This record gives sequence, C-alpha cells and structure tokens, in this order.
Amino acid sequence: MSQTLFLARSLAYCIALVVSLLFLYPYWWMLLGAFRSAEAVMTTPLRLWPESIDFDAFFSVARVGGVPLWRYAMNSIIITGASTILAVFVTALGAYAIVRRRGHRLFEALRYVFLLTIMYPYMLLVIPVYIVMFKIGLLGSYAGIVLFLSMGPIQFFLFEQFFRSIPHEIIEAAAIDGASEWQILFKVVMPMAAPVVATVAVITFLLNWAQWFPVLVISRSPDTYTLPVALLSINGELGTNFQGIMALAVITTIPATIVFLLAQKRVMAGMAEGAVKG
Amino acid sequence: MQPLVGQPFRLGALFGALSRDGVFYAFVAPFALLTCLFGLWPILLSFQVSFTASATALRADASYVGLANYVAILSDPEFRASLWRTLTYTAFAVILNVGFALAMALLIDSRFITRGRTFFKIAIFLPVVTPDIAGYVAWKWLYDRSFGAINAVLDLLGMPAFGGLASVSTVTTAILIAELWHHAGFYIVIFLANLAVRDRTLDEAAAIDGATTWQRILYITIPQLRPAILINCVYALIQFLKTFTVVVVMTKGGPADTTNFVSYYAYQLFDQARYGEATAMASVLFGIIAIFALSAYALGNGERGR
Repeated sequence: MSQTLFLARSLAYCIALVVSLLFLYPYWWMLLGAFRSAEAVMTTPLRLWPESIDFDAFFSVARVGGVPLWRYAMNSIIITGASTILAVFVTALGAYAIVRRRGHRLFEALRYVFLLTIMYPYMLLVIPVYIVMFKIGLLGSYAGIVLFLSMGPIQFFLFEQFFRSIPHEIIEAAAIDGASEWQILFKVVMPMAAPVVATVAVITFLLNWAQWFPVLVISRSPDTYTLPVALLSINGELGTNFQGIMALAVITTIPATIVFLLAQKRVMAGMAEGAVKG
Repeated sequence: MQPLVGQPFRLGALFGALSRDGVFYAFVAPFALLTCLFGLWPILLSFQVSFTASATALRADASYVGLANYVAILSDPEFRASLWRTLTYTAFAVILNVGFALAMALLIDSRFITRGRTFFKIAIFLPVVTPDIAGYVAWKWLYDRSFGAINAVLDLLGMPAFGGLASVSTVTTAILIAELWHHAGFYIVIFLANLAVRDRTLDEAAAIDGATTWQRILYITIPQLRPAILINCVYALIQFLKTFTVVVVMTKGGPADTTNFVSYYAYQLFDQARYGEATAMASVLFGIIAIFALSAYALGNGERGR
C-alpha cells in the first residue's frame, strides 16, 4: 500500500469515526443522565460511566401528570401497533387500486388529492383536523388518533412503486385462468408483496412511535397520551426532575432503537426508495 | 354502429365497466375515505376559516371577512419577521444538511472506507428513527450551561463558552446542529442509494486517464448525483420550512423571538383562539411549499427529458 493511500485511508476513517461517535454521544449522555443524579452531572458533566447503577430514576417517573407511566407505554404500543396494521392494509389496497386503474379519472384525481395533502404543512394540518375530529365525534378517542396516523406518504409511494413493477402478464395470466380480482390480489399479488409489506410495517411503526403532535391535539386528556407526549409534558414542567426526564427519554427511545437495529437494512433501503419515488 | 342497437349495447358496456371497476372502488374506499376525512376536508376547512372572523370561525354561522386575515398578518411586522426568519433558516439548514450529507455519503462510499460502512450508516441514521422529542430533549440539556457536556468540553479545550439556547446570537446555530443530527441520516441514505447504482465505468476510465480523486468526485460522481441532490434539496426545503418540534421542545420561539418560525407562530395564534389569522398563515406557508415543490417537480421532469 502506498503511503498516500494509507494516509488518505486513515484520515477517512478518522472523520467517519469521529462523526459517528458524535452522532451516538447524545444517546450515551441520555442513558448516563438516567443513572446519575443532577448534582453529579453538574459537577462532572463529562463522566462516561455512572457512579452507581440504580434504577431509581425510572421509578421516579412512575406517574406523569397524574397518569401512571405504564398507561403511556400501553397507549404507545396500542396506538402504534393498530395504526401500523391499518396503514399497511389501507395503503396497500389503495395504492393497488390506483395502480391497476391508472388513467381512470377518479383514481387519478384521488392520487392528486393525496399528493396535495402531503404537501400541506403537517403541523398546520393537524389544527383543522382537530375541528374535523370534533365534528365526527372522534375527539379524544383512540380511534381518532389511530385513523389519523394510518395515512402517510412514504407508505403509499413504496406500495405504488412495487405494484407498478409487477409485470402486466402475471395479472393477465391469472385473469385468463379465471381468477377474480380478489383472488388475483390475495393469491398472486400479495404473496409477491411480502417484503414490501414488511418494509412498510417497520417504517410505519418507527414513524408512528415517534408521533406526538397529532396525539396531543386529538387527545382530550393525558389518558390517551403516548410516551413522547408524556416526555414533552414533563420537559415543560417547572422544577424539572433532570434524572427522571432522561429516564423517560430512554424509555421512549429504546423500543424504536431495537426495532430499527433488527431491521436496519430494510428501514434504510425502504426510506431511500420511498423518498426517491416521491 | 346503428343508433337503435347502440343504446342498449352502450348501457351494457357501462355496467360491465362498472362491475369491473367495482371491486377497485371497494379496494380504494378506505384509502379514499381517510384521505378525504383527514386530508382534503381539513385543508378546505383551513382555507375556509382563513376567510372568517376568528371569534365566529368555529360556529355554523361564521361571518366571512374576505381577505382581512391575510391583510392583517401581512401587515403584522412580527409575522413578516417570522416569515423572513423561516426562509433564511431554511436556506441555511438546506445547504448545511444536504452539503454535510453529500460529503459524508461520498466519504462512506469512497474506496478508502472498506470495512465498517454499516456501522457508520447506522450511527448516523439512528437519530432519524429516534423519537424527535426524546432527541431534542437530550440536546436541550446538552446545551445547558451548568449541566451540559458541550460547554464542559469547550471549557476543557480552553475555548470560550457557547451560549447555546440562552443567547440570541447562538440559538439558531444550536437548533441547526440539533436538527442536522436528527435529519442528516435521511439525506445520506438517499445519496448512498444513488451512489450504489451509479455508472462506475466513467469513473474507471477517468482513473486510467490519470484524473485525481478530487477531479473524479467533482466532475464525474457529483454530476451523476444531480437527481439525488435535487430530491434531497426539495425534501430538506419542505422539512425546514415546517420547522416546529425543535422549537417546541428547545426554545419556545425564544429568546426574543429569534426562533419564532411561521409554524410555531401560527400555532401560538391558534392556541389563543385567533383561528382566522393562524389558518391564513398556514395558507401562506402552504403556498410557499407548493411553489417550491412544483418548480422542483418541473425541474426534475426537465432533467429527465434531456
């Protein structure tokens, strides 16, 4: 190996490593904060290992805003789980119909309406959604939150792109064999779509786990808050319990991190693909 | 075709078409319902409310005031400042994020990095799928004067303290860094996906002709990444025009309104039940985003047509 190549390689690794560690450091700091008292952090902020491992902070946030923590955790699991399943079904069927009926005026119109919707600033869409939820009587309900979280651009683009890539001949052959549209969808198309379904499911789970603003706006009381919303509300409280906040941040972050690490290839490839098409 | 037999024949064709389309209407129905209920309807409602007097906005007999809300916000110096602030912040954020992502993607993809690519990718992408509230809460405390690690490091290196979120002169930098941490991984992954499918023969030919690494990156790789750069710029633009969560968690618009961007300003007005003005601001922001998105779309089509 020539000397310049060795130098270039060392430099490249140095930069990549430093950037990666800087990106990971906030996680470590968050985790340390959950195990270290506020006083300890104030005197030695740069310590890389806690003085002692005790889980007191995690119990100190057993209740947030008068609601037990397990309730927020259950809400997160139920709302994320239900909206993920619903999103996969609704978007897969919708994208499939739109792809199969390309050129049909109504289906094209629907596609444009959808594209318009995703261009609207999400944060500002949520506000009139509050009014809509009020009008249809879903304000403060799990159903309202779950339904709202079941729509997303990346899910639609991933399915649309996949269905477009299926050769016409396969569907025509099945139709000639006398298969109905339902049979074509469930016996021919969906088995082929299994990897896309998995990708969309994981990505939706991760995105919806992190959602907070729609949950906050559609909720009428902390009873339907999820973990990120609970975290936001203790972050805003006066007389903050630093250690408790970090503990709750850790609890909120860990499930998403585990899911991501288990499916990292799928998630990164899916995000890139869904975005490039959009 | 004879008109007499034509009539029933066409009717039959219509029914045939309906039943053939029928099953697709069933497939698309839930999607269409949700899109209309939680997409189209709220958008139309928002436009409608922007033409009404706030006090009556949510009533059935809302009184319409024409463009009064738009006139009010456009003559509000605070809103104009907020809009300008949002645009400049977006410009900085787009350049910073896309530039950083491009540099990191080129580095990770380069021939100098042979092992550990997956680790680098995961480390930088992890913040994208970390709940943003949790990430920004951690950053908020990292910037803290007495708790934070950032000033402790600067102190250790003998450098002047960083004002972080407390000072007007540093708060924008502080949230730019936190947002870069949260978003850059997404743009990097898009660049890497495009780098993976690029035509490498050009690069090899240039190498044989004696082009240096820099020349090859500048004149061969980057031009091939043009579509990815465009896509990333559009995504980043839309992303940062809407900047909201970081403000809610870290600054609440302060200090002295330095981070009071349009989304947050509109939300504050909404919170004070000034619905008309809040939705008028939403319309303005939507208009800006739509202009950018559509011109990028046209630009993208133009590129493809070449």
